[in-house]
Order: sequence, then C-alpha cells, then structure tokens
Amino acid sequence: MDPRRIPHAAIKPKVRQVGFVPRNAPPEPPARSQSYPAEASSPPLSDSPAGNSLSPVMIPPPRHLSDNLAAYRTPAVPVPETARRRAGHSPVVGSYDPAESLLGTSSPAPSPPSSGRLIVDGEFSEESWLLRRSNSAKFASSFPGGGFDLTAVKAVSAADLASDANVKKTTEKSKGSALELKNEAIPSSKPLKAKTTKSERRALQESQRAAKVAGRVEGNKSTAAASGRVTYAKAAKQPTQKKDVASAAPSVAASEKKGSDRAPEKDKKKDAPAPRMQFDDKSRVEKAKRRAVVNQTEARNRVELFRHLPQYEQGTQLPDLESKFFLHEPMHPAIYKVGLQYLAGDISGGNARCIAMLQAFQEAIKDYVTPTEKNLNRDLTAKISSYVSFYTECRPLSISMGNAIRFIKNRIAKLPLSLSESDAKTLLCSDIDRFINEKIIVADQVIVRHATTKIRDGDVLLTYGASCIVEMILLYAHEIGKQFRVVVIDSRPKLEGQSLLHRLIAKGLSCTYTHINAVSYIMHEVTGVFLGASSVLSNGTVYSRVGTASVAMVANAFRVPVIICCEAYKFHERVQLDSICFNELGDPDAILKVPGRMDVNYLSNLQNRENLQLLNLMYDATPSEYVSMIVTDYGMIPPTSVPVIVREYRREQLLI
Amino acid sequence: MMELEIELKKASDSLKAWDTTSISLTAGCDLFMRYVTRTSALEYEEFNSAKSRLIERAEKFGEISQKARRIIAMLSQDFIFDGCTILVHGFSRVVLEVLKTAVQNKKVFRVFCTEGRPDRSGLRLANELAKLDVPVKILIDSAVAYTMDEVDMVLVGADGVVESGGIINLMGTYQIALVAHSMNKPVYVAAESYKFARLYPLDQKDMAPALRPIDFGVPIPSKVEVETSARDYTPPQYLTLLFTDLGVLTPSVVSDELIQLYL
Repeated sequence: MDPRRIPHAAIKPKVRQVGFVPRNAPPEPPARSQSYPAEASSPPLSDSPAGNSLSPVMIPPPRHLSDNLAAYRTPAVPVPETARRRAGHSPVVGSYDPAESLLGTSSPAPSPPSSGRLIVDGEFSEESWLLRRSNSAKFASSFPGGGFDLTAVKAVSAADLASDANVKKTTEKSKGSALELKNEAIPSSKPLKAKTTKSERRALQESQRAAKVAGRVEGNKSTAAASGRVTYAKAAKQPTQKKDVASAAPSVAASEKKGSDRAPEKDKKKDAPAPRMQFDDKSRVEKAKRRAVVNQTEARNRVELFRHLPQYEQGTQLPDLESKFFLHEPMHPAIYKVGLQYLAGDISGGNARCIAMLQAFQEAIKDYVTPTEKNLNRDLTAKISSYVSFYTECRPLSISMGNAIRFIKNRIAKLPLSLSESDAKTLLCSDIDRFINEKIIVADQVIVRHATTKIRDGDVLLTYGASCIVEMILLYAHEIGKQFRVVVIDSRPKLEGQSLLHRLIAKGLSCTYTHINAVSYIMHEVTGVFLGASSVLSNGTVYSRVGTASVAMVANAFRVPVIICCEAYKFHERVQLDSICFNELGDPDAILKVPGRMDVNYLSNLQNRENLQLLNLMYDATPSEYVSMIVTDYGMIPPTSVPVIVREYRREQLLI
Repeated sequence: MMELEIELKKASDSLKAWDTTSISLTAGCDLFMRYVTRTSALEYEEFNSAKSRLIERAEKFGEISQKARRIIAMLSQDFIFDGCTILVHGFSRVVLEVLKTAVQNKKVFRVFCTEGRPDRSGLRLANELAKLDVPVKILIDSAVAYTMDEVDMVLVGADGVVESGGIINLMGTYQIALVAHSMNKPVYVAAESYKFARLYPLDQKDMAPALRPIDFGVPIPSKVEVETSARDYTPPQYLTLLFTDLGVLTPSVVSDELIQLYL
C-alpha cells in the first residue's frame, strides 16, 4: 500500500479554462467555478482569480507531453508542478497552434477515465458480452444516481431491490428518478402492468413532495438526508395505505411489490431512530422520550461535537426496567431478556447481538397470535417495530442488526396472504433459521477457509480487540498445522483482547499481548494484520471497534497488509467519511475509573466538573486506502468492490 | 449432461496441468468453463440441441478471444498521440498489435524497449518493431529510471490480471511501474478479459512460483543463490488503466467483472 496519502484540495484539471484567463492569474486549477458535486473535496479557494468567474470556454487540455498525462493522475499530482507547467504553456492554450492540429486525433482521450468505460461499453457491447450478465448491474455501480438502472432489469423483485437500494441513497433527486425509472422497467408479470402506471404517478408525486420538503428542511440541524427520508417515508405511507384499502383483493405480486415498498420505508423510519435521530434537536428528543419504554437520564458534560448522538447515564435503567416489566404486556419476555442483556453489555459483538435478537424474534413469533380484525403482515410488522425501538433504547442498533431487521420485515411483507397463521409463523421461523445459518454460520466457515490461505508458515499475525471471526480463523489455521504466532492488541476501557488471549492460549497458540499504545513499536515484526468489522460501508470504509483505524494506519505505514474479515450481510450502502457523524457513545465513567487500581484513579471525584468532558466512543471508521483486502463469504474482494456486493446481495436477498 | 460437464472439467484440468505456472492458461480455462456451462441450455431435454448450444458458445468464446486483440488495439489508439514516447516491457502480442495498429493509423511515435532479461523478450519486440519502421531504442533494464523523464507512457501486457486489479507480468514490471508512478507517468496495461483470474496476492511472495534459470555467461559458484523468479506482481495503485476487450477499465473494475461472472 502507498504511504499515507497527504490530503489536499483535489485538483481535477480534466477540462481547463482557455483563452480568457489573464496571464498573471495565479496558477490555480480553474475547475473551481465548475466544481462537480461528485467531487469529494474541492474547497473554494479564496484567491481564485476573477478570470475564473467568467464562463470559460471548456475544451480538453492540449496534448502536450507530460502535461497531458499529469491530467490523468489522481491526487498524486502536486499542485505547483502542474500549475507551473500550465502557466508556462498558456500561450499555447486555446490558440490555433499548428502543433495542436496534429494532436487532433486524440480528442476523445480526456474523457474522464472512470467513465471512459461507459462510453466504450455502448460501442462494443455486442462484442464484449462475454463477461456481461446484465448491463444494469454494471452501470448502477459506477454512478450513485439511478440514471442507468433502466437497462435490462427483468424481474420485479430486482426492480424493487434497485429502488430499495437507490431509495436509500443520500441524494433526493436520484432517489426520485430512480423510483421513476424502476417503475418504468417492464416487469414480466401481466397484473403488474396496470399497477406500474399508477405507482409511476405516485412515485413522481412523492419524489416531488420529498424534494420540496427536503428543500425546506435543508436549513435544519438534522441532516437533510435523514429528514428527507423520514418525510418521504411518511409521504409514501398515506398513498400506500389508501391503496391497501382500495384494492380489496390484490394479486400476490402486487401486494408483494407494495409490501416491499412499504417495508423499506417503515424500516427507514423504525430501524433507524437512534442512529439517525439527531439528539441535538430538542423537539425530537422530547418526543422520543415520551415514547420511550426505557427511562434514561441524559448524561451531563457531553462533548459538543457529539451532541447529535445519544448518551445516557449507565446503571440507572436496570431497577427502572425491572419495575416496569409487568406493565409492559406487549413486550415478549424473550425480547425483554435480550434487551436487558444488551443494556448490561452481556452480549457484545455484531454476530452475537444479531443472533440473539433473531432468536428472540423467533420466540416472539412463535407465541404470536393475530388479534381479530387485523392483518398478520401489518400487525406483526408493527410488533417487530416496537421491539426494535425497545432494543434501540437499550443500546443503539448495530448495522448487522439493522440488516437483519430489514430482512425480517421483508419476509413478513412477502408472506402470501393465503397462508394460515400457523403456517406463516413456521415459515417465518424457518426463514430466520435459514438466515442465521446461511449468512452467519456458513458464511463464517467460508471466510475462515479463504482467509487461512493467506496465512503462511512463519507469519506473525496481529489482531485487535476480540473479533469472533478472526478468532475462528486463527484457531482453524492452528488446527491445520500452520506455524505462526499472534500478537493481540488491546485497549481500555473494554479490554476485549484479554478474552481472546485466554482462548488462544488455551488452544496452544503462541501469543504476544500488548496495548494499543505499543502498536507502532511492535508493528515492524508483524507480517499481516487481521481485523474484524461491525460493518463495511459502500465506499470501502470499515466501521469497527474504536482503535481499529489506528491499528490499520500504523500497519499501512509499515506496509503490512491489512485484511478485514466481515460477513456480507454486514455490508451497508451508506457512506461515511469520518467517525463523527455516526457513532455510539459509551459510558464515560468507564474511562474515568480504572477498576482495581485505586492508585491511578485520579479522576474518580471529578465527575461533575463543568470543564471536564468525557468522551467514550465505541466505533471508528477506517478509510479504504488502509485496507488491503476484505474477506467475505463471496470471496476475497478489494474494498472498492463493496458496493458491487451490496448490489448483488440485495438482489439475491429478495429472490430468496 | 452431467457427464459432459465432467468431461469438460477433466479436459480443462489436463490442459492446466500442462503448464501449472501459466496464469492466463488457468484463468482462460476457468472462464471458459464458466462461460460455457453457465447456460440454461443444460436444462434442455434434447441432448443434441444442448450440445450444439454448448459448441456454439465455445466457438463464440474462441472468436471473442481472437478478436480481443483487435478490439484492444482499437481502444488504445486514443491514448497514443503523435510525438509520444512509449516504454514497453516484455514481449506481448497484444502490445505488438496495439503498436501495429498505431502505425497503420499513421501515428508518429517512438518506442523504448527494455532488454527484458533473462529471456531477452525485449530484443524480440525490438526486432518486430524495427520491421514496422518504428523508431526503437533498446535500454538495459536498469536504465528505466534514467530515461523515464523522456517517456510519456508505459505500456505493458499481462500474464494475468488479479482480483485486486493488479497484474502479474514479467519480472521487472513492478519496478517500472514504481518508477513511472513516482514520476507521474501513466502505466497502461493491455490484457484480454480471459486473463482475469481469481487470485489475490498480498505481496510478491503470495503467488505460485514460476522459476526460470538465468544464464549469466560466467559460472556462478554453487554457494551463491540466484533469484530466478520469472514474474512479479504489480499492485493496482501503480496502474492507471487497463485496456481490455470489455473496454478501457480502471483497476477496481476487475473485481466487479469477476464477481458478476462468478456469483
């Protein structure tokens, strides 16, 4: 891997101003006036010259030797060099230099390499269908907007998926257009043809409404995306409900489509209350508190930057919950039990939490009885949603749990209406069993098999914290006789590495144990780093236990490969650029106190000082450039391929 | 039908066993198998129609592979401009095709050829180019950094394109890519799509070894070890673009293609 990339303003001199730029203009990349929204970082430079504000005549850069090639480079291009060269060539730029005409044949060259593929694809599609299954998939991966979804989307379910995936994107516009396009894609079944026109109109209406609402809410503190999604979900609910009532005997396919439409919207609303909800918005917090089952007192002395995340005082909820237990008859005891376990921290780790939650849901479903006059699908979905809010109050949902909930709601929505209640329940329970088996247990086995091929004799492997999948990999590799040793890195306050250390030593592996402050000291001996993840996001960012990013960065600096092991069901189509906008705050007291060491408890009586703020983050985001490879149940993939898996996975999920 | 698939697999395996080190052979066989058997024709009741469908697809595969070189040559024409200097490493027929087509399109350019020890592939390529009247300059492998300033782009072929988007090619490619990257010269790879392999090397030693004895011309004492590996792995961050018959791709798209095909 490259040494750490120096962040600086991205220069994209793919098109350049010509002709009207005054000679003495400071050599700034002129693309400022046309900063594309897709560009990650192009802060408006304060000294961009007046010449840039003229509407420039944009032509592709002249093909002078290395100048041209510098244009194709990504951030490696140093600013002063290109500027110098460009300034030096300003007489050539734009003029009708005879040398230019010789270069005329290379005109299509400057089309951005990333989209060059698309342009050429169209021309050679008939020749190059060797490796092509469906065009739509390819296009969807290169652009976040739904613009290219209309090609060859055959099944309704695929279309639904595309809309689901696209609807969750952060841009309102693409959402609206994606939904439109999805509805335009011709589904194969006949009864749907009539519905598409209506839903087309509905989608158009909603997208316009959502855009309007989003525009209004732009100035609000809560992110536009979140509110847009919430309002969109709300807006979508009324027409769907109306339609539900209107269509007395809907065909199965139609209800499927509507149901899956509604489920993701309800999902967005329900399975993301705490994570999406911005806690610095007073009115929202008040409303949520009134609805809350668990009475949590907010912690004092919170860090300003993280006010949008919930933080409660630990240790106050348990007696409260116990007393409330008998008041909450809608809450199934299994659900309650698991919720308490989350609260107390007895269950931790993405897989464990997800499995516990799913098994509790299974129990709840088995004991479920549809109330009279109610529809099983809708009532059960509402019940699940209430359970989910309970869980969220105990502890914010992990992304793996969120995906599992989405799966369940999907399955409930897809239940054929003709099924009897007991049949439906057994079907759901078996679906949940299958999910746990396929996506977690068997997936883990596949990952272990792939990852152990990367372990060679004589390796020194480093791991951080306690990831169950990494533990399985190390134990399996040891079983099949590979000779290696392990370095376990740990950190306060959780000290999760100690449990991993115990288990490894019990099996006879030779281990080294140290804390994270020594990771740069020990990294020179290490040949490979294995890390687990809570989730991997669509831009390749790994969202994992706090400290993972530091370990990955140090490994990168020492050019040690970093291997992330993560099941595919934990992937998410969200994109996160830093660890601040979305995170979880843990108990600040845990940082204050060092258990068992009275001599270093200097801070123990400083809890309520105003000028002391405590921050106990639980997760952090590791940028994709520090990750060499991600091992999933789909094989070993580079971090850039995560959105491909998300796309394929979502499609497959609906086909289950 | 199952029998037929088993036969195909056996044939493919014996072909692969002929040269275990060749990545393109393995990748090509795997892709062929996937391509041919991944058809609903296998569900046909009638055996003969299924068989003819498989033969049809197989011939298509062969056709595409043959045409691949021409497609790649056409695609890469946009990147060769008049007056440019191209650095080439190793003897690749695809690269030769690219340069031939450029000559046919009346482009004016010159080529720097590395010697390509130990198999002297660079000399072969220089020979071929000289026949086309292309101004060629031969460099020893160590002179690459020295001449990199005058070079506009580096063009290489590939033995195999791996899942990360990197390539496996003749020993020396990684070195050239590193030098080119540090001097901001683009590195273009011309490879057919059947060379996409499901490998993911993490470092140079992570591949199946392919050794080739080197003749130094003078006897080497037996105690002295010689590094005889014939190829190296170039990570994707040093490559600019891949010219393939699927189009002009960035290295990250390789995994996309492989996932679509294999999953």
